[in-house]
Amino acid sequence: MNQPGLWVQLDHLSGPQRTLLQHLKFGVEPGQCLTLIGPSGVGKSALLAAIAGTLDMLAADDTPPLRCQAQVWLNGRCISGVPCHQRRVGLVWQHPTLFAHLTVAQNLLLAVPSGAKVQRLCQVSQALERAGLAGFESRHPATLSGGQASRVALMRALLAKPEALLLDEPFAALDPALRVQLRAWVLEQARTQAIPVLLVTHLAEDIGDPQRVLELSNV
Amino acid sequence: MPHLAFAVGVALWLAPSGWLLRLVSPWATGFEWPPNWSTTQDPWGLSLTAVLWLKEAPFLCWVAAAHMQHHTHRQDWARALVVAQTMGHSPARAFGVAVWPQLAQRLRWALLAVWAYGVSVVDVALVMGPTNPPTLSVLAWQWLHQGDPQQQAMGVAAAWVVAALALAPMAWWWWGRAARLGTARIGATVGAWTPSFFALRHGAWLYAAVWVALALGSVMGPWPFPDLWPASWSQAAWLGVFEASDTLTDTVSLAVGAASLSVAFVVLWLECVPRGWQRHWQWLLWLPLVIPQVFWAMGLYGLALLAGAEGQWWAVCVAHSVMALPYVWLVLGPAWQRVPGQHAAVLATLGRTAWAYRWHVKWPMLVPALCVAWAIGYAVGLAQYLPTLAVGAGRLSTVTTEAVSLSAGGQRAVGSAYALVQMFLPWLVFVLAGWAARARRIPGVVA
Repeated sequence: MNQPGLWVQLDHLSGPQRTLLQHLKFGVEPGQCLTLIGPSGVGKSALLAAIAGTLDMLAADDTPPLRCQAQVWLNGRCISGVPCHQRRVGLVWQHPTLFAHLTVAQNLLLAVPSGAKVQRLCQVSQALERAGLAGFESRHPATLSGGQASRVALMRALLAKPEALLLDEPFAALDPALRVQLRAWVLEQARTQAIPVLLVTHLAEDIGDPQRVLELSNV
Repeated sequence: MPHLAFAVGVALWLAPSGWLLRLVSPWATGFEWPPNWSTTQDPWGLSLTAVLWLKEAPFLCWVAAAHMQHHTHRQDWARALVVAQTMGHSPARAFGVAVWPQLAQRLRWALLAVWAYGVSVVDVALVMGPTNPPTLSVLAWQWLHQGDPQQQAMGVAAAWVVAALALAPMAWWWWGRAARLGTARIGATVGAWTPSFFALRHGAWLYAAVWVALALGSVMGPWPFPDLWPASWSQAAWLGVFEASDTLTDTVSLAVGAASLSVAFVVLWLECVPRGWQRHWQWLLWLPLVIPQVFWAMGLYGLALLAGAEGQWWAVCVAHSVMALPYVWLVLGPAWQRVPGQHAAVLATLGRTAWAYRWHVKWPMLVPALCVAWAIGYAVGLAQYLPTLAVGAGRLSTVTTEAVSLSAGGQRAVGSAYALVQMFLPWLVFVLAGWAARARRIPGVVA
């Protein structure tokens, strides 16, 4: 699979009790967004975790991790079996998951590990400006509103220069006006950076292009 | 506050010539001399029981509070409490019906630890317990120290009986009876106890009284009964304490070593041992709490003999750290669990390694818990008595061993001074740990 973009060929994704998904094949081209919809518990979030390589990390203590047999290609590179931190796949959840002990700037700096400190800080400031959060560098996550925290989380994911972006209902907790604004902003960012985006949502208004919707159903 | 310092302080209040009787003598009691009462070291063990109850009840409250604050229960239990009240139950009754049955299940290890400690305690029993005969654990310890093989055999037998008594509730739980009680009878009847359970928080005055008794007791000169205050004050006890610089140095260095070793071990355990193994083997970390100290002291002494390390500082330090392990784990285990798994995933998706996650995110978030755990390890290490005597082979003395021997020998002033030092040293570290933890605490940080 030497095409650019994100391509997934899933044989099966199984929990301890049942198979969640099987025989699934889809792709997302650079700068495009594919929306995943389906009933709760069908395995949408698990599919994103499988693509990002975080299935084991997110398993609850008292349940065995989900098992997944899948081939994932990213810009012609097979990333199945590659450790999560080497996949270059960004993942953002509904909860922004900012690190509460770090400031906004420190949260963003984690996504820019290399380079001189001054340059990294400059990148962070520019990113915050693009996100409409100029001057928020020294704020702590606990002092941000939901929308501001979501923008920081999205910007943090983009700053890591991912080759694909997975969005797990990141706009669900926002009010309608902010949701529309933030969705348009992040998709614009993805378009300009030619990043394929996989968006999980329950909300009909999040579906931008009806041609690019994948509806998952229970096995 | 260490058990021993607390016991010495309480003895200063409860003794026939103690503060309690002086406060009401002779005007209310008519006593011109201390009465011939057994208010401490009484043959029924009532004063020992009272000291243990007053000391352990706050510990159980603390464990219960920790469970109630745990993120996996907090919201569910808060909702359950609300739902029960919407059904017409009073807040206390709602707690008893909806929360207590679940909480009681989770308190079983702490209850078992308190039971085992009460059954097997030696140092507090030497100060407050009956003397003729003493408690079985003290008797076992005394027999084990005799040169006569027959008496040593009796000591081993007595230690086994103490162990059986300490572990009996565990067998009871294993048969599943506690689970049934937890969900049925306890849930139905304990609701009314709830207010007194929470009222324990207001028992700080008792600890203040113990502080005062120890502070005054350490500087008392001649003190005829029933005078409320000593006829004169004396620095002799404190001069004696400060002259024993080896004792103070050994005490602090052993406590620092034990705290550092136990924290390092628990962090390694939590970071390196797979979660499944942790679940299956965590009972090992509880063993120092539930197995009588006499056994531990014997076992550790045997190991020290095998290694040719009896009387060595490092061997005593290892012995103290073993005893501190469960307490440190009690703090760090839940704190580690509270770190959301999503954090590791977020950092991995940003291209950072597991070590970067630990260094930049996880450990900085856990600094407050690490500070508290270290302080607790330090306090537990400092309070050890039997392991110091056994593994130290009498060559190392600490403020704890000195406080026991002096208080049990009736030297109240020097005993009080050592007990006060035993109380002050952990207090100082807790203050520093609290300061360090607060300095790192940020709104919204979970650990």
